Amino acid sequence: MIGNNGAGKSTLLNTIAGTLSPDAGELTVAGHRVTNRSVAYRSRWIARVFQDPKMGTAGELSVAQNLTLAEKHTGSLSLRRYRRAGQTARYQELLASLNMGLEHRLNTQVKYLSGGQRQALSLLMATLSHPQLLLLDEHTAALDPQTSRQVMALTQRIVTRQHLTTMMITHKISDALTYGNRLVMVQDGQIKLDVRGAAKDRLEAADLMGLFGE
Amino acid sequence: MLITSIGQGLLWAPLVIGVFLTFRILNIPDLTTEGSFPLGAALTISAMLNGQSAIVASLLGFLGGCAAGWVTGILDTKLKMPSLLAGILTMTGLYSVNMHVMGKANIPLLDQKVLTNYLPAGWSLDVQTIVIGAGITAAVVLALVWLFQTRLGLSLMATGNNAAMSAANGIYTDRMVIIGYMLSNGLIALSGALIAQSNGYADIGMGIGTIVIGLASVLVGEIFLHGRTMWVRLSGMVVGAVIYRYLLTLAMGLGFPVNDLKILSAAILVVVICLPLLQNKYRTKRQLSRYLKQIGVDQNGNYRRSKRTTTTEGLLSGDQQRTSRAQKRELND
Repeated sequence: MIGNNGAGKSTLLNTIAGTLSPDAGELTVAGHRVTNRSVAYRSRWIARVFQDPKMGTAGELSVAQNLTLAEKHTGSLSLRRYRRAGQTARYQELLASLNMGLEHRLNTQVKYLSGGQRQALSLLMATLSHPQLLLLDEHTAALDPQTSRQVMALTQRIVTRQHLTTMMITHKISDALTYGNRLVMVQDGQIKLDVRGAAKDRLEAADLMGLFGE
Repeated sequence: MLITSIGQGLLWAPLVIGVFLTFRILNIPDLTTEGSFPLGAALTISAMLNGQSAIVASLLGFLGGCAAGWVTGILDTKLKMPSLLAGILTMTGLYSVNMHVMGKANIPLLDQKVLTNYLPAGWSLDVQTIVIGAGITAAVVLALVWLFQTRLGLSLMATGNNAAMSAANGIYTDRMVIIGYMLSNGLIALSGALIAQSNGYADIGMGIGTIVIGLASVLVGEIFLHGRTMWVRLSGMVVGAVIYRYLLTLAMGLGFPVNDLKILSAAILVVVICLPLLQNKYRTKRQLSRYLKQIGVDQNGNYRRSKRTTTTEGLLSGDQQRTSRAQKRELND
């Protein structure tokens, strides 16, 4: 999803995630009506990666604790111990797949990780419970170009491997053209362009730039 | 003096741990403290005067504090009030509740058996107080260390640290905040129950300044014992409570009248908060002096000539003078 600032991209994403309530209409995810339900309730089906790497993780908690939170095996009111047998090895394996050297930093507080490492961890956390819908809110915007490319490649790998329905907001035309099989352009709260499949593949950056200018 | 401070500090420790839960774990400044502390005292002394044992009465005090915390939690989360206002409202309301519970502003114990009376009579009062305080505080610390190893404890920590992320991971943050308030105020009221039994009475004004005592003790504790594990952090709170009581006792020993206790409490908090700032300032000053020495400028910002340089300051070349002025400007900045 692309569009100018103020076009309504983030409003739509926040409405789906549950941080904003819609004025009208219904929201259904995987057959479940979630229109007036809380963010926590929706998290059974919807996962989100924020623009700011700090938003998606708890900085004071360790990498392992953050991953435990994302597993959602037990309710947040459970009095069972959150450390489980075999957890460390499984987390190390998961973190190793990120190729960011996090597998040896399980007990490090997340606030000491770099922005890229933190965003990669956010992505891993968001996809750990195999959501029905993954929301990516300009999740590489706060990263340097190299880390941004790294995180995008990682995103593509996870989304493809898990066959996740994903909605990504981006300001990068190149990313909008490269990734995904559907492209929606929003302007003044309205859908201005909605192309998919072969029609999307035929799109050029100049076409989109032209639409932005209109 | 030290023994008495240890005993009193241990009785205040549940309050400090309670303040720690809201202030450090949930990241909320909760003023309910000033109402829930006397509530614990009022409920306990009233229950004892009505024939309940000290143990049951203390538990009632704890539960009363939990109820007060629940009210603040509801105001904060469900009615969307700022946490500060929610605490002030509950605290204000609790004044009337406490008056109703006690029937008058001050109720003394008569010959009721307090917790220390369950211990051998041959022990001194200080030893009895330390044993009771240490036992209850240890139980509280153990229970909390266990709690923070559970999924609920982890969710509490996550909520305080990043509510948006917690909600996105399926944690009902409102529930966590309410539970946090309840636990915190329960412990604060328990401390009120213990102090009331130690003093032999409950007083409507005994909550005034308790938030300052709690915060100061938390900060003192963190100075003396800081770490990441919950064991260390909670132990730090106990140490903070004891040291703070000792500091107060020392100050009172200097001859201050009892009426100055509150201002002394506030002053200690100010000092504790300012200490890191002063340390930083002192460190910066030392670093600046070292830097000045290295570049050959004295404390007043005057350029010191190198021993090898024979040129007098008045004869400095234009470039050198400009450099010297730039250095001074940089230092002033």
